[in-house]
Amino acid sequence: MALGYSLVAMRLVYLQVFERAALSTRAERQQERLVKLEPKRGTIYDRMGRELAVSLDVDSVYGVPSMIGNPREVARRLSLILQENPRVLERKLEGDRHFVWLSRKVEPDRARRVKELDSKQIGLQAEPRRFYPKKTLAGPVLGFTGVDNEGLEGIERAYDKYLHGAYGWVLAEKDAVGRTVFPGGPGLGYQLPKAGHDIILTIDEVIQHIAEKELDGMLGSARARGGFCIVMDPKTGEVLALAVRTSGPSRPPFNPNEPQHYRPEEWRNRCVTDVFEPGSIFKPFLAAAALEEKVAHPLERFDCSAGSIQVADRVIKDAHENGVLTFTDVIAHSSNVGTIKIAQRVGKERFSRYIAAFGFGRKTGVDIPGEIPGLVRDPRLWSGVSLAEIAIGQGIGVTPIQVAAAYCALANGGTLMKPYVVSEIVDGEGHEGRKFGPQVVGRAISPETCAKVAMMLQRVVESGTGDKAKPAGYTAAGKTGTAQKIDQRTHAYSKKNYVSSFVGFVPAVSPRLVILVMVDSPEGVIYGGSVAAPVFKAVAEQSLAYLQAAPDDVGGRMLLVTR
Amino acid sequence: MFARSRQGSLRRVLVVLLIIASLILYVAGKVSIVRLGYRIEALEHEKKELERANRSLRIEASSLSSPARIEEIATRHMGMVRPPKENVVMVRRKAAPGE
Repeated sequence: MALGYSLVAMRLVYLQVFERAALSTRAERQQERLVKLEPKRGTIYDRMGRELAVSLDVDSVYGVPSMIGNPREVARRLSLILQENPRVLERKLEGDRHFVWLSRKVEPDRARRVKELDSKQIGLQAEPRRFYPKKTLAGPVLGFTGVDNEGLEGIERAYDKYLHGAYGWVLAEKDAVGRTVFPGGPGLGYQLPKAGHDIILTIDEVIQHIAEKELDGMLGSARARGGFCIVMDPKTGEVLALAVRTSGPSRPPFNPNEPQHYRPEEWRNRCVTDVFEPGSIFKPFLAAAALEEKVAHPLERFDCSAGSIQVADRVIKDAHENGVLTFTDVIAHSSNVGTIKIAQRVGKERFSRYIAAFGFGRKTGVDIPGEIPGLVRDPRLWSGVSLAEIAIGQGIGVTPIQVAAAYCALANGGTLMKPYVVSEIVDGEGHEGRKFGPQVVGRAISPETCAKVAMMLQRVVESGTGDKAKPAGYTAAGKTGTAQKIDQRTHAYSKKNYVSSFVGFVPAVSPRLVILVMVDSPEGVIYGGSVAAPVFKAVAEQSLAYLQAAPDDVGGRMLLVTR
Repeated sequence: MFARSRQGSLRRVLVVLLIIASLILYVAGKVSIVRLGYRIEALEHEKKELERANRSLRIEASSLSSPARIEEIATRHMGMVRPPKENVVMVRRKAAPGE
């Protein structure tokens, strides 16, 4: 009995001592740490679900200076592995702090070698890093993120609050050997991070590639300074491709994986941030106004044989010699004289209403950061020559996206649609996300007028200045433009720098695509019909083939077999 | 009186044994919790590593299937060409009766 008691007593005492040792060790080494849990940034997909921007965990190297007795030696060894300046590392490792970053988001095999050191003073912490697996594809559209996964440009910035997610945190204890022990699990000093939302774009990876490739090809052969190619669905306003090149063919296109190698103007999305004088691609809007107001008939004849026309104090010339042209041919052959005569019938009040109805002078509202509304002068401030100038696309500032959206209205029967790039935000946890659909902005012209304008634009491609734009097997409608750029220094029209454009839609009837091509400062040949139109043709052919659109202009060589 | 004290002391031994047993169970339980905690952490870690490897592979697959690369391989290395439009034959199948 006494033995029993003493056994118990010994046991109790033993347990008590044992526990005290464990407890006191724990108390000594215990570091209660508030660990911030990084949320997983949402993925950006193209419209077919292919990944364009993904976050992946990579290792970052940290040190515990309070545990390092010989910072110089440790720094030296690390500098060999991490390829970093040993003096910088040494400075970080001095002192008494419990935590310091040494090198963030390092290459995987460098991380592996750090792990092999098996050091308690140096550790690895996983951090998410953004990758763009398609490299330069749609670089300016996607934008990029900074070191702390904040969106700095493009979609990454515009939708950062959806992509980012929310930090979590956990109260962690360290046990006797320094391992982190989570005492309670979720609910007890533990908040899970909320993953960011995924985003699905309207962009199609293949059409984007086609647009970029064909644009690059022309920029190279024309030795141009830059260019744009926008492809949209005219019925919905979805942007299927948006190619922006702003640095000439000798510089590689913007790769968001390495933003530090590029200058800001190389990632700026100039489709929305910059204005241009559109030149002749603006003429169809004057034609639309004239037809809607019924001040001219498509087959009405206009004498353009003078080759020039005097308006107020300015003489405006035609680029080519023309004779007497029908209204349709005025557009097909891009006669300034004919266009101005028709514009004078429309008058500035009515014309400026149609300009506004097609969305010029206002932001389109596209979900790309940095959009500007363009420059359209109030009609009350128009000079005597403004009507003529604006009718031929001078004296007005427009952005490429505005032009593309306005041509969508011409293509879809007269409804101005809002262009958009993001079609869906998918909730990270499986809840209902947000879908974005087509949005009508307003009605620009009636469907009947639209059909007449489309016929004129089809003539441009069939027998006018745009014959190089015709895609094989399909009908097409569009307009060429060769606009003088304004010299930044003299503020006069440049004699040698032009913007060559072609904008149109395919097929001409029931169009599937609106394609805009603008080439900035081509050398040598400068006409829109020679520089931009071939790009339109190539993009149209390949995109329609990819979309498996049935050819509607069968012609002699092609067989349409039905069984 | 002897009988009663023996009964009483038996009961006390039982009680003490019970206390000891429950203390042992309690400590064993605690140890078990901590050990399971380590196991959970190790499995979580492994899970995270596998997930990371999976995503890394998916990104690589995504990169390898980029249209620019496919076109490069098809044209440069395999000698494929885009069919000239003149050779494209559109065949449309009329729906058979009953379909």
